[in-house]
Amino acid sequence: MTLYHFLALSAVLFSIGIYGVLTRRNVLGILMSIELMFNAANINLVAFNYYLHPENLWGQGFVLFVITLAAAEAVVGLSLVLAIYRNIKSVYAENMNILHG
Amino acid sequence: MINLPSIIFYTFSVLAIGMAIVVVTSRNVFHSAMALTGTLGVVAGFFALLGADFLAASQVLIYVGGIMIIMLFVVMLSQQPFDALQRQTNTQWLYGILFAAAVAASLIRSFRDVYRGVAAVATDTVPTSAPIGRLLLGDMLVPFEAVSLVLLAALVGAVVFGQDRKAAK
Repeated sequence: MTLYHFLALSAVLFSIGIYGVLTRRNVLGILMSIELMFNAANINLVAFNYYLHPENLWGQGFVLFVITLAAAEAVVGLSLVLAIYRNIKSVYAENMNILHG
Repeated sequence: MINLPSIIFYTFSVLAIGMAIVVVTSRNVFHSAMALTGTLGVVAGFFALLGADFLAASQVLIYVGGIMIIMLFVVMLSQQPFDALQRQTNTQWLYGILFAAAVAASLIRSFRDVYRGVAAVATDTVPTSAPIGRLLLGDMLVPFEAVSLVLLAALVGAVVFGQDRKAAK
């Protein structure tokens, strides 16, 4: 179990998240895939902290900020999704075209 | 080199990748949300495996206990009966798979060239709560205060976007 194992795992999780963002039609599914990508990046940060700089904790502190910002992003994003759903009665990304003129 | 940490690592990896695939492929969004909850819990296990006990606890508290509850609320508020009959991916799924595979292959390849064989320095696992607290209120004080401002803005934004204009009048 070396640093490379964790990096490979988080690369796989990140690309699964990219696939979800590119192909999901449901906006909630896209938000969930973004959370998946956040978590892959967090695993990377903690693994670099543990293997390369075990004497200090800057990687873990950074992950705390990422978790906080992910929470803020999820709250605002989900309330936007609900506001759009109240207007057009759909959560599918291709129906959200009321700005297309 | 079969030892307990690598058995735990591979078990967690299979769980995390399997549930992540369910998240992006499931037709039912509720099942996606449950699988995402499981994935986030397994990521907390990875944090514990890497000696980050405080982060593992806050991952469970914030992600599994907070974000996923809000997400499940929104999923249940925005479901329609015909959603279960519709396909949940767009027509570009083949290119999506190709692009994701290219990203994964190039990331793993570049990591292999640089970081292969970096093993852990043998240290005792110590609790990290007190050092993280000192770090947050010491060297990281400015981003700590900035993030509190961001949280306030997110709170106001959620209230503004979440209110029903017609009901408010």
